[in-house]
Amino acid sequence: MGLENFSYSHTIGIASFQGRGFMNPVDVRLDSTGLLFVLSRSNAGNKDVRISAQTLDSEYLYEFGRWGTEPGQTTQPTAIAIDKDDRIYATDEFMHNVTVFNREGQFVDRWGEFGTGPGQFDRPSGIAIDSEGNIHVVDHLNARVQKLTPDGGFISSFGASGTAPGQFNFPWGISIDRADGIWIADWRNDRIQRFTKTGEFVSTLGSSGRANGQFDRPSGVHVSADGEVFVADWRNDRVQAFSEDGAHIETLTGDATLSKWCQEFLDVNPEQASWRENAGLFEQEKRFWRPSAVETSADGLVLIADSCRHRIQIYRHAHAAVPV
Amino acid sequence: MTTVATKQEDVAAVAHLLRRAGFGATRDQIDQYAARGYEATVEELLNPRYGEPEDQDLMDRYFIASVEARSPGHADPQWAWRLATSEKPLEEKIALFWHGLFAVGGVKLDHGLEMLTEIDLFRRAGLGSFRTILFEISRNPGMMYWLDNQNSHKDAPNENYGRELLELFSMGIDDLGGGAYKEDDVKAAARAFTGWASKPTPPPFFLGPFPMEFRFDPSDHDGAEKSFLGKTGNFNGEDIIDIIVSERATARFIAKRLYLFFVSDEPDEGEIERLADCFQETGGDIRSILRSLFNSDHFKSAAVRFRKVKSPAELVFGAARLTDRFEIPDMDSSTLANYALFMGQHLLNPPSVEGWHEGEEWVDSGSLLERINFAASEVGRRTSPGVTRMLRRVESAGSDLQPGEFVEACLDALGAIDLSQRSKAVLIEHAAQDGPVLSGTPDGAERTIEMFQLIVSTPDYQYC
Repeated sequence: MGLENFSYSHTIGIASFQGRGFMNPVDVRLDSTGLLFVLSRSNAGNKDVRISAQTLDSEYLYEFGRWGTEPGQTTQPTAIAIDKDDRIYATDEFMHNVTVFNREGQFVDRWGEFGTGPGQFDRPSGIAIDSEGNIHVVDHLNARVQKLTPDGGFISSFGASGTAPGQFNFPWGISIDRADGIWIADWRNDRIQRFTKTGEFVSTLGSSGRANGQFDRPSGVHVSADGEVFVADWRNDRVQAFSEDGAHIETLTGDATLSKWCQEFLDVNPEQASWRENAGLFEQEKRFWRPSAVETSADGLVLIADSCRHRIQIYRHAHAAVPV
Repeated sequence: MTTVATKQEDVAAVAHLLRRAGFGATRDQIDQYAARGYEATVEELLNPRYGEPEDQDLMDRYFIASVEARSPGHADPQWAWRLATSEKPLEEKIALFWHGLFAVGGVKLDHGLEMLTEIDLFRRAGLGSFRTILFEISRNPGMMYWLDNQNSHKDAPNENYGRELLELFSMGIDDLGGGAYKEDDVKAAARAFTGWASKPTPPPFFLGPFPMEFRFDPSDHDGAEKSFLGKTGNFNGEDIIDIIVSERATARFIAKRLYLFFVSDEPDEGEIERLADCFQETGGDIRSILRSLFNSDHFKSAAVRFRKVKSPAELVFGAARLTDRFEIPDMDSSTLANYALFMGQHLLNPPSVEGWHEGEEWVDSGSLLERINFAASEVGRRTSPGVTRMLRRVESAGSDLQPGEFVEACLDALGAIDLSQRSKAVLIEHAAQDGPVLSGTPDGAERTIEMFQLIVSTPDYQYC
């Protein structure tokens, strides 16, 4: 059965340890010019982590934030956010800090340290920026969300460990909606929680399971400018779309075609292309494998970090105009 | 009436059991098991509830590349976490046993995802019927690929799998095995397994790996009559397995391998024959054989305690378990397998289809240094929960410990282990240089940590 509200557009990516391509992309964000930034997590031990910049039509530009503990390097990066000046903020779960880069990938600042106090982190994961430029960080193992100034100054926090409304169990992703409401992927509670801009609990979306509206370890949540809510339903290998009031709209399971980079790879490696043809797993190739984050563009694109297939699958909202 | 000596022996016996059926245990865990009794502990170890661990999601979340492990190196963090933390130690130990017996190497099968699938097969089936294990491994796509069975065709059988099945996986060529099967049996087995292969998968280079699957192609299977081990029929691979499992040579081969892995590096022929009898009486039920093994007077006797060289995996994960420092997966836990590699055991990548050569061959001058450095570093982690408890246990032995008492208290805290009299004498002499140990003082803690490190640096500690 075809999709009703979205149409598959194209895929960007190829498995790659450096340069053009991704290695376990866990987050994806667009800057104000439409440049695509992808965070490759990899295994820290393999040291292939990086943030890469490319255009939406697969022109690779540059990479930064590669493995290391020095300023400008990352070790176990988990999420990125981009502010109105196109500075890129990256959380790091190993170093318990946030590194700030400019649009060209040059190191700007680094703040945060391990701890439980204000402005300290225990494995910071999701990160998002509100309309006033404040930075919101999901302080993963401290089971809270911290609001900070762009240079890491503590403003406020909310949340505690648990399963009750307003509490978190290994939270991961975060999104700020058009009214500066805060949405959290409460990962191990299998739900999305919505809060006001000051951290008061509003509502819960989802429960454990595989039915529409249910989740198995949701890693990412993203609220579009139109108010649609996208959830990366991580262990169910799918993305679900909801209205802002929680009504299920559609479930995406992946429709990938070969990316431009993959096609070029197979063109120059005919033996590999032959193996692929013999295997004939074309349907399996299309599907998401642990999609972990969602981004949307103002012109109706939905971008999904397909983390175990090393690519970004891109959909277009049905109401969006297709560019000529 | 339970005497102090009886209690000490109970603790020592359970500690021995946990070193062999698992990777050792903390002193507190040993007490808990000992309170339940030896035989009850054996039953608990033999009957783990198979299933996905509760923290699998955490492992996957922090090490996403190991979910789609493209290579053994990418898969390492997954198994290392289980080996270091599983509360079902025999499930992991038996997986390690079968991993060494049905050795599939990453040099050729560079597919970490399939390696992990195979380890999970051993967890799921490893304590059950040998017939089932042999059947499942014969349908394991990684094994089929590793031993070239996808190149074994009706008109041109490849003998690799048939040969290793008989020589390395079931009947063996040593002892009775020399006369147990002939070259013609190898050829017949190879014909019977034609058509058994793995489905092709896309190369992993652009989208990562895809799960491997078994494929039987009846059009490529030789269904004609064959003679195998004195029997004649239109045998397929499953028939061959049934015949193999009914052979005495198979019972002896598996009994010997289990003995060498769980009991001693030096085979005891009488005990191996007894276990082989058990194999045949139970239709090759591994759980029953191990129950008989662990409950035997031979296994419990002092003659086999501390007589088996720890494999690198036993040393690394045993020491890591002592510190009890892994609450959730982290960078440290993900690198544990590297230490076993440095000591000569590359998990998920055995050196050949023969697996690893165990026993004294584990230790040479280079690996010994690695072993000592690693173990000493682990027990020196004074802020780890396990070491903190060990310090408290030594403190609780007395406030003013004489050198001999101090050494004994440290050995007990390290998991009720024992050393030779010669090693003990050296340690006591060292402890005596600074007089009695005053527990609860910074100096006492310092000396206790030092003693832990000296103990794990002795030659005796290389044995379990």
